[in-house]
Amino acid sequence: MFKNHFKIAVRNLLKSKSFSFVNILGLTIGMAAAMLILLWIQNELEHDRFYPKINRIYKMYNRDKFNGEMWAWSSTPKIMAPTIKKDYPEVEDATRFSQQSFLLTVGDKKLNEQAAFVDSSFLSMFDMPLIKGNSASLNGNYTIVITEKLAKNLFGNEDAMGKIIKIDSVDNFTVTGILKNSNNTSFYYDFLLPWSYKIKIKGDDQYWGNNSVQTYVLLKENASQSAFDDKVKNITIDHTKNGEKSATQVFSYPLSKVWLYGKNENGKLVDGRIVTVRLFGIIAAFILLIACINFMNLSTARSEKRAKEVGIRKVVGANKNSLIIQFIGESILVAFIAGILALVLVQLCLPSFNTLVNKQLFIEYSSFFFWKQLLLFIIITGLLAGSYPAFFLSSFEPIKVLKGSFRAAHAAVNPRKVLVVLQFTFAIILIISTIIIGRQIKYAQERDLGYTQNNLIYVFLEGDIDKNYNIIKQSLLNSGAAISITKSGNPITQRWSDSWGFSWEGCTEEDKKIDFIRMSSDGDFTKTLGTTIVEGRDIDPKNYPADSTSVLLNETAVKKMRLKHPVGMVINADDRKWTVIGIVKDFILESPYDPINPTMVMGPKSWFNVMHIRLNPAKSIPENIKLAEQVFKQYNPQYPFNYLFVDDDYAKKFADTKRTATLAALFAGLTIVISCLGLFALAAFMAQNRIKEIGVRKVLGASVTSITTLLSKDFLKLVLIAFVIASPIAWYAMNKWLESYTYKISVEWWVFAATGLISVIIAFVTVSYQAIRAANANPVKSLKTE
Amino acid sequence: MIKIKDLEKIYRTEEVETIALNKLSMEVKEGEFVAVMGPSGCGKSTLLNILGLLDDPDAGSFIFNGTEVAHFNERKRADMRKHNIGFVFQSFNLIDELTVYENVELPLIYTGVKPAERKEKVEKVLDKMQIMHRRNHYPQQLSGGQQQRVAVARAVVNNPKLILADEPTGNLDSSNGSEVMELLTDLNEQGTTIIMVTHSEHDARFSHRIIRMLDGQTVTENILI
Repeated sequence: MFKNHFKIAVRNLLKSKSFSFVNILGLTIGMAAAMLILLWIQNELEHDRFYPKINRIYKMYNRDKFNGEMWAWSSTPKIMAPTIKKDYPEVEDATRFSQQSFLLTVGDKKLNEQAAFVDSSFLSMFDMPLIKGNSASLNGNYTIVITEKLAKNLFGNEDAMGKIIKIDSVDNFTVTGILKNSNNTSFYYDFLLPWSYKIKIKGDDQYWGNNSVQTYVLLKENASQSAFDDKVKNITIDHTKNGEKSATQVFSYPLSKVWLYGKNENGKLVDGRIVTVRLFGIIAAFILLIACINFMNLSTARSEKRAKEVGIRKVVGANKNSLIIQFIGESILVAFIAGILALVLVQLCLPSFNTLVNKQLFIEYSSFFFWKQLLLFIIITGLLAGSYPAFFLSSFEPIKVLKGSFRAAHAAVNPRKVLVVLQFTFAIILIISTIIIGRQIKYAQERDLGYTQNNLIYVFLEGDIDKNYNIIKQSLLNSGAAISITKSGNPITQRWSDSWGFSWEGCTEEDKKIDFIRMSSDGDFTKTLGTTIVEGRDIDPKNYPADSTSVLLNETAVKKMRLKHPVGMVINADDRKWTVIGIVKDFILESPYDPINPTMVMGPKSWFNVMHIRLNPAKSIPENIKLAEQVFKQYNPQYPFNYLFVDDDYAKKFADTKRTATLAALFAGLTIVISCLGLFALAAFMAQNRIKEIGVRKVLGASVTSITTLLSKDFLKLVLIAFVIASPIAWYAMNKWLESYTYKISVEWWVFAATGLISVIIAFVTVSYQAIRAANANPVKSLKTE
Repeated sequence: MIKIKDLEKIYRTEEVETIALNKLSMEVKEGEFVAVMGPSGCGKSTLLNILGLLDDPDAGSFIFNGTEVAHFNERKRADMRKHNIGFVFQSFNLIDELTVYENVELPLIYTGVKPAERKEKVEKVLDKMQIMHRRNHYPQQLSGGQQQRVAVARAVVNNPKLILADEPTGNLDSSNGSEVMELLTDLNEQGTTIIMVTHSEHDARFSHRIIRMLDGQTVTENILI
């Protein structure tokens, strides 16, 4: 029986080539889109979950109240890990993780790469996949473990083990391990250095108030996480009892949940990326459903072609179940063909998709599990697509169909209409979402930054730059490459440091909990960055030596501190007194979607990590860069000239939202294409079925326009119904999405009106070809045929 | 073989009620060849559908081979039908996507006959119908007469006890029509009971008995043999 069913399935596919093509194409696109999304989802779900001891590994978090809100954050004191390991017997091991860039030199090769300082237990705790070396590879002081990729970049095809790498042109390290390249992990580094080196370069401290590293613990086999948390929660409070009292509590969080459930909400870690994962899952299901709906619609519309066969089979002995099995088998065959084509399509689209989602997704063809999953996916798709047509077709009564008067095309009209409405509802929701996401991005991009991005670069103070800062600065100005320069603690586009516990005259205990973003400047802050002083003056130690402990406040800080006359007042911080010399207009340091936080720009007694350079607008950028490079080469010869454009850096803040917008547009486009494919074929079929009616109407005097309208209006009605259903859903969904942004647009009516119009136009264009074709047909031929 | 008593079948729509069979009674003995005749709308096709277990009556009794089948459900009817009844239709009703061989093989598949045995039976019956040389052709490649011979082959391949023929020569010319009637006569002589609905007096003369219907009832019965 299976052979008989298979033969007839193949022959039916070949008999109706255009119908089969539309069906397979629609399913292929739907399945390919769903597969890509499922690959992405699988990758997200596997993030950081592949470590063998993952069930016992926890990341440590702080929890405290700031600016009236509870916060949880994962930067912890450097001293936490060794203290936990020493004092808590339920902890098997603990490690710190702290990133820093270094210049690596091997012969003539110089590369700036990302290091991670870790404790020696890091390799064994996470069972890092070492190609060479072992878990003791970081036990020595001048040992370095590098990734495969870095090994290739530094040593080509030579074995890197035992080779020497110079770090920051100062210290030599021996390669004692090579790690397999890994992605899908929160640990981003090119090489690992032992914590002992951080101590050597004076990067370590014992200060419980300095939260600057990540801390991970491995609990023992039968240790209880909740019991551990109960014990460890006051570790910071206990260690700051006698000094600067802290009220910060500490808790552990499973590493397996950090990536997906790491969003802070009132001091608790709740849904984060998992919301996007769920959303994408829903989108994948809907796109597949829409493709399956196409299949259902076309199969039931063409059911008259199969009605006779159903009748005959029933007469000669088939029961309903065997017919259902036959038709579901046919749909699984179509799904199988579409599935293989979809796999090819996915493979072709993967590179572009990876760029879009910023991942390294790939298909593991050698994995049996993958083929099992693919087969299951195909079967489920076939079942989903084929179930309704199978039940519908198998229900035909032989006595009705075999007389030749059965009009199957008129059956199941209402279910088909519902399916078309469902398809377009989803498509319209996606179109509205795409427009609104795009508008939100544009809105944020046009927000006043509070400083001038153009012609502004920054350079990290690596190598001899800090040592030769003054001469570098002067040389840059003399060369004409720059018109202003300032040293800062962090780039203007990034928040690197924040503190609380400051005090000033008239402040309350609650005010001491205000968290201030900290920047610093050695002078010419406003001139270089293009910020605006609204009261007082800029930091200027050249003319005002006391400015070494001066501070600028932003407008938000003044409001938060409730200051009436801020200029001249003194703020106590870092055991120093800082004098407010000016108020700067608010500028965006963090997310362009969020409100601006209270910010302090502290004078030269603070610390510096970067220099901002305002390039000369009278010269071209390449010219300026060339001149600047010459200066840096002269005074920092050991390091390549690394610089970053502030506007490029700022643009990265939109990367995530732009990615969401592009994906929404892509899914909207796919949904429309699939829906229109189905609509096109359905319109063709409907036109064919009404050929006699059209012939009669034409003979009686109907124009092409009136017939086109007649054939199109039913479909357009369905699209309008879809629009009415989709609009409130889209309105609710978009408002919910916008809730996560403080700086946001409002959802306006014209977006819905425009989408409705676009949808109707798309549907009309899709069906009008068939309608016009039918309307132009010679009535003599169509009536003769009937 | 067949005993029906006071059979009723009523078709109802929102506005109209049509009595297709009105307390119809008849008997058909095993091995008989019965022709059913009557004007359009007299209930011949309804009778044939009920006899073929394609439909169930609203009232009355229908005993088929000693079993009361009047109120069998769809599954039971299908089961009884596939083992006992073969159909020949006016418009042949072959599946266009299957070859001659595959069309004839179909009933054997549904009765669970094993492949080797199926092959033997199909080839035997194709040979008997003199259509073996067209076994790999599709219905649309055959003439009307050839298609009807295939339909007859399909009807008899399972050795049914009863063949129901609904205007078997209706779409054929006289020559092909005679051929088909001779086939049916041969089958009847070998013991198969045949009930044939026809408008053709010529075809009816091949039968043993002619039952004439009007308005859902039998009105006359002519015994020819």
